[in-house]
Amino acid sequence: MKPLALKSLAKKSYLGLIYCLLYFPILVLILYSVNNARFSLQWHGFSPRWYGELFHDRALWSAFFHSVMLGLNASIISTAVGLLACVHLFLNRSYKRRSLFAMLLLLIIIPDLVLGVALLIFFNVFLIPLGFFSLLIAHVTFSIPFVVLTINSQIHTLDPNIYFSALDLGASRHKALSKILLPMLWPAVLSAFLLCFTLSFDDVIISYFVAGPDFSILPLTIYSLVKAGVTPELNALCSITFLISMILVIIAHRLTRKSS
Amino acid sequence: MKIKPFSIHFIFAWVFLFGFIPLCLVVIASFLTKDHVNLVSLPLTFSNYKELFSPLFAKVFFRSLIIALMTTVCCLLLAYPFSYLLAKSKHKSVLLVLIIIPFWTSSLIRTYSLIAILKFNGILNVILLKAHLINQPLSLLYTNFAVITGLVYNLFPFMVLPIFTNMERFDFRLIEAAKDLGANKWAIFFRVFLPNTSGGIISGCLLVLLPAMTLFYIPNVLGGARSVLLGNMIQNQFLVLENWPQGAATSVILTVLLLLLLFLYRHHGKGVIH
Amino acid sequence: MKLMSGLLISCLLINPVLASKIVNIYAWGGEIPKKVLQQFEHETGIRVNFSTYDSNETMYAKLKASRHNVYDVILPSAYYVERMKKQGMLSKLKQSKLSNLSNLDPLFTQNEYDKGNHYSIPIIWGATGIFYNANWVKNPPDSWQALWQNHWRSQLLLLDDAREVFSIALMSLGYQPNDNNPNHIQAAYQKLLKLIPNIKLFSSDSIQAVIIDEDAIAGSAWNGDIYKAQLENKQINFVYPQEGYVIWIDCLAIPAHPPHPEEAYQFINFMLKPSTAAQIALQEGHAITNKKGKALLPRSIRNNPLVYPTPEVLKRGYFQRDIDDETIALYNRYWEQFKLAF
Repeated sequence: MKPLALKSLAKKSYLGLIYCLLYFPILVLILYSVNNARFSLQWHGFSPRWYGELFHDRALWSAFFHSVMLGLNASIISTAVGLLACVHLFLNRSYKRRSLFAMLLLLIIIPDLVLGVALLIFFNVFLIPLGFFSLLIAHVTFSIPFVVLTINSQIHTLDPNIYFSALDLGASRHKALSKILLPMLWPAVLSAFLLCFTLSFDDVIISYFVAGPDFSILPLTIYSLVKAGVTPELNALCSITFLISMILVIIAHRLTRKSS
Repeated sequence: MKIKPFSIHFIFAWVFLFGFIPLCLVVIASFLTKDHVNLVSLPLTFSNYKELFSPLFAKVFFRSLIIALMTTVCCLLLAYPFSYLLAKSKHKSVLLVLIIIPFWTSSLIRTYSLIAILKFNGILNVILLKAHLINQPLSLLYTNFAVITGLVYNLFPFMVLPIFTNMERFDFRLIEAAKDLGANKWAIFFRVFLPNTSGGIISGCLLVLLPAMTLFYIPNVLGGARSVLLGNMIQNQFLVLENWPQGAATSVILTVLLLLLLFLYRHHGKGVIH
Repeated sequence: MKLMSGLLISCLLINPVLASKIVNIYAWGGEIPKKVLQQFEHETGIRVNFSTYDSNETMYAKLKASRHNVYDVILPSAYYVERMKKQGMLSKLKQSKLSNLSNLDPLFTQNEYDKGNHYSIPIIWGATGIFYNANWVKNPPDSWQALWQNHWRSQLLLLDDAREVFSIALMSLGYQPNDNNPNHIQAAYQKLLKLIPNIKLFSSDSIQAVIIDEDAIAGSAWNGDIYKAQLENKQINFVYPQEGYVIWIDCLAIPAHPPHPEEAYQFINFMLKPSTAAQIALQEGHAITNKKGKALLPRSIRNNPLVYPTPEVLKRGYFQRDIDDETIALYNRYWEQFKLAF
């Protein structure tokens, strides 16, 4: 084989290898969702009964929907607020952006563990009960910096004069914002939203400290199940989640490609 | 400008209330004493910090640091060529999406799958035995090897994304120019490509190193008795030993040391953390 | 903008707490089967919020951490019932509401840790002994001391419980598990340090997968868990050690100021039914305290010495009791140092 072709093959194989390594545990996950054994992690034969059991497991579905609700709420709040803040900072150069960014950076740098612990102490001192709202507060707190960073990095590629010229041409502030700026920021907003949702949906560490008993969320339910003996039902749920998220990400990707 | 700065004030207030104040509370708690009934109480004391200067804590800290460093190095070695190939590929967005998709599945469950792979009678051992590469199954699970594997697997995209973003912005014509000027491959790499991608490398390393030291659920699930890391220690102190002041002190020291590391990077590295 | 706010409002509206009747249960993982909870929900229409813990200490810390109590029913071990009772953390039970109380075996209702069962209802009990995998272990260990032998290098699985692990050392030295003599405890700690090279991991809850799939070939475990493991791997065996072993009883209790007291009583009463107790035994393998429930079990379980030890074996058992706060603090300090000494 010519050296060039060999090189190209080597490159493709490296890429392929990494992707295989990334996806292998997921395939194992799906494979074990049809394993015919309750506790053991060795292969004991094919059995789709866990999908049936999954449909009857109200607790697991309830945790799943709670996580989705929490994720949507946290993402919408952080994305909305973050977007407005970024736009405002962008159009108004005189604002003290450095202190804001410093504080947001601090939040990203602080390890999740310390933030979780800090919020636990905070909720304890101020007598805030642990439950949906404590989780929501925590999730918005760690999401906002990511939103601001993401949207900010794209907003810098835009020219503020577009907005001002729209105003000059007679558009109202609201129209200029929603019809001119927003569509240009759409990819960043969408990726910020998706990022927040992923962070919230998958968060274990912070949620571990600030969750309450009456609002079960999926990652914590999974954590206690992983420690107590995972039945393949959980694998079944995760296989389904994986499929849904794959579809969602592909849709989101198609949408952003269309608009840019 | 009439766009209400409401959102800015909102963010400031939020971050102050739910970010800054809780962190202050941690610092305060670290100086209090453990109490049976109320969890923390006066008197103020330095004993929590004194306990941390013991050889046991130093051992845990250094073990966590070493494991985090090994994780970072592995991620870097795997991600750097990968990002390069990604940046030069024609199907960038698809490939990027393919990296992100697995991370929408719960990381806990993916880590649990690693158990199925690394077990004594697990998939990896079965494959190695069938291929006659080993005679006895390897005891990989519940060791530091398993913990590093789990950490690398979970933190890989955090290394890829900054490096990839950095490489995408790299002007590959510089390489052409260097070739024209007669530089060989190594010179091009070490003098042109590497320095220009160092920003991405540093960001990636930081994004991997910091969580690698504090993710407690991966050592919890994959590690054995010899894998007690800082994150586990703090979690234990808060939720099992109910020693909140001690846990708070450990968290403070951890944060201070991490901030020091970051400060050193900013000072010596050319990288900008953004 | 409008779309976003509309989405936000609708999200907040669909949000939680469309609750009818609820009961919040916080129990040991692997003791109350899901089917039992589903049955309870089906029969009473009360929704169950179920969370688990893997050690009494975690449960205790969680209860202490929240200022107002959120749990209705908990499942502490008897020695923690003693402790929490003293600290006023438990509600006094109105036994008139528990019509099924008489189903329990008097052996368990007449106890020292909670005379008259005013604060707790024993439902599950068991023993901690040595398990081993006959496939890999040629000389089965029959005493705790045998675990210190050199050939167990990095093989042992121990329960992640300070008192259980210290009991092992104490009993191997000839002392009792409830010892509160600081010198004895220190001696036990020193002995445990010598065990470190043999220990592979600590776990109280994921042990089935570890034991069944042979990632650990010997160690300490609860008899009910070994019974479950045996069903999937016939090579797993259990031994009641010569020096003695710990007997524990897990009891249902209602913490002080529960948010849903009525539902809590309904749940406990449901758990006291013979059919429920039998389900627990069949699904989770542990020994039950319910006399009528035990009668419903197949002979293979009822007469199984693994789950229900014979009277001679029972004589060697030590019942776990509460110890004073200072001693617990001592145990905790040693335990933390022990865990970090690896």
